[in-house]
Amino acid sequence: MGFVRLVLRRKTLLFAVGVLLSLVIIAIFSPYFVPYDPDALSLTDRLRPPGAAHFFGTDHFGRDIFSRVLVGTRVTFILGLSISAFALAFGVPLGVLSGYYDRVGMVLMRVIDAIMAFPAIILALALMAIMGKPGMVNVIIAVGMVWAPRMVRVVYSSTLSLRENTYVEAARALGASSGRILVRHITVNLLSPVIVQSTFTFAFSIMEVAALNFLGVGIPPYVPSWGGMMNEGRTYIIRAPWIIIFPGVFLALSVLSFNLLGDALRDRLDPKLRNLL
Amino acid sequence: MSRGRDMLSYVVRRAAGMVVSVLLVVTITFVLMQLIPGDPVSVLLGPNATPEQIEALKRTWGLDQPIWVQFYKYFVNFFRGNLGESIFFRQPVLRIIGQRAETSIFLGIMALMVVVGLGIPAGVIAAVRPNSWVDNSLLLLALAGASIPSFWLGLMLMVLFAGKLHLLPSSGYTSVIATGNIANLKNLILPAFALGFVNAALVARTARSSMLDVLRADYITTARAKGLRDSVVILKHALRNAAIPITTVISFTFASLVSGAVVTENVFALPGVGSLIVQSVLKRDYPTIQGIMLVVAVLYVVINFATDITYAFLDPRIRYR
Repeated sequence: MGFVRLVLRRKTLLFAVGVLLSLVIIAIFSPYFVPYDPDALSLTDRLRPPGAAHFFGTDHFGRDIFSRVLVGTRVTFILGLSISAFALAFGVPLGVLSGYYDRVGMVLMRVIDAIMAFPAIILALALMAIMGKPGMVNVIIAVGMVWAPRMVRVVYSSTLSLRENTYVEAARALGASSGRILVRHITVNLLSPVIVQSTFTFAFSIMEVAALNFLGVGIPPYVPSWGGMMNEGRTYIIRAPWIIIFPGVFLALSVLSFNLLGDALRDRLDPKLRNLL
Repeated sequence: MSRGRDMLSYVVRRAAGMVVSVLLVVTITFVLMQLIPGDPVSVLLGPNATPEQIEALKRTWGLDQPIWVQFYKYFVNFFRGNLGESIFFRQPVLRIIGQRAETSIFLGIMALMVVVGLGIPAGVIAAVRPNSWVDNSLLLLALAGASIPSFWLGLMLMVLFAGKLHLLPSSGYTSVIATGNIANLKNLILPAFALGFVNAALVARTARSSMLDVLRADYITTARAKGLRDSVVILKHALRNAAIPITTVISFTFASLVSGAVVTENVFALPGVGSLIVQSVLKRDYPTIQGIMLVVAVLYVVINFATDITYAFLDPRIRYR
């Protein structure tokens, strides 16, 4: 209940949650209510500016930008969720183990630091090249591999401070096994930092997915995606800037909302995290 | 005396850490390249290659040897500055990167000027009048800046300044060093702004919060009580002490600038290292991809090391950690 009241009290947060809810609804239901088939070509309607018939105009194939942007929301959210899930699946176990067992931590953190020496997009590009062909699963792996180490770091440093708590010591004194302590006492208490970090992972990963699609190495161009649309619109940027403007606005709004939500959750769930994340 | 010893032991410890990081970076790149499915040689030669041709090329590249021999040679070559040969350009990778470095370095420096020139003043102004309308609008702008993809900002700037206003060139870049024409830097203004703005937002947020912390300190109250002018208190007393966290964030922006540059160079058709890696990915030029990964990551490790050492000089407390 506290969170609902917080949302209503803070205008920026209200805005963020409003935008995200609308985007989720669009992501789920847009294929059923968009005015045009997002893939329907119409050579007589090429490069039409925004107007009553086409709210966001049309592209060089006469496809309706409005319909394509809305349908592109689905791909964006599926990828954002999958990448965050990927980061969690690797980040939580590895982070907890490194935080709890000093030896594991010493070795693993060095490797994690080394992976993080590769700037995000360079690593993602290299992984896409290694895996060979564009596609959803490959994008999830490539971008997930970039954000998983950051999740490991957050979980690691949270575990380091959690294991010093008196209740962990008490559990150990009572004869609890390491496994039990890890699952029942540490992982459970990681919820706040992990939720916050997942929100940021989502925000950064959809931005990176858009960059990959923009560069033409993400998902195949026939799937409507915001980054892919911007890539296709580049040739017509001066004549028909709307092809690029609208997908970019949707992308920026999504990222902004997730960042606002992440900030608010961080302050709400655990003010100590301010310095950590 | 002990001060010097502390410092020395700190530098040695950090240098050892740096060496380990470089070794790991080299290893990770090697492992990644082993993950390429299938056989890069047959992929490269195409379906019409005869087994003899494939064998011959494998022998030239040393791919017929056991993996640990390959790894050892790879390591030795790396430390000799030999990063292999580009499949597409048929030239040493390091030379190609060198040819593309000028654009990226100038772009990076100009973007950094945007980061510092916008970020620090914005953060300081916001911190001086916390919760005023100036502060709130700057904060909102910074938040928006951190959420706008730099390539989209670049495209929008292109539409506005090159398309509508015809003020600045929208793409391409000719070497300043080769032609001696410094006016070529004009081509980097829009890309540098697009790239810098996002990071300026981060720096502004940090500058604001560290300035706020410092402005609450007793010595600021004392300085004000002495009757010093506001500008002196803020610039001389406060900003100086807020400088360390701000510098940290600026040094962090390296990785983010490199990432942004990859896409920005592509948007503005700049012949830099960023557009080189994208081309190499599209052409499956694995040696070049690998070479760029190595150069960038090693640079990152070295910059981190240099920043840490600089802090230890500036702030003695750091050495004891």
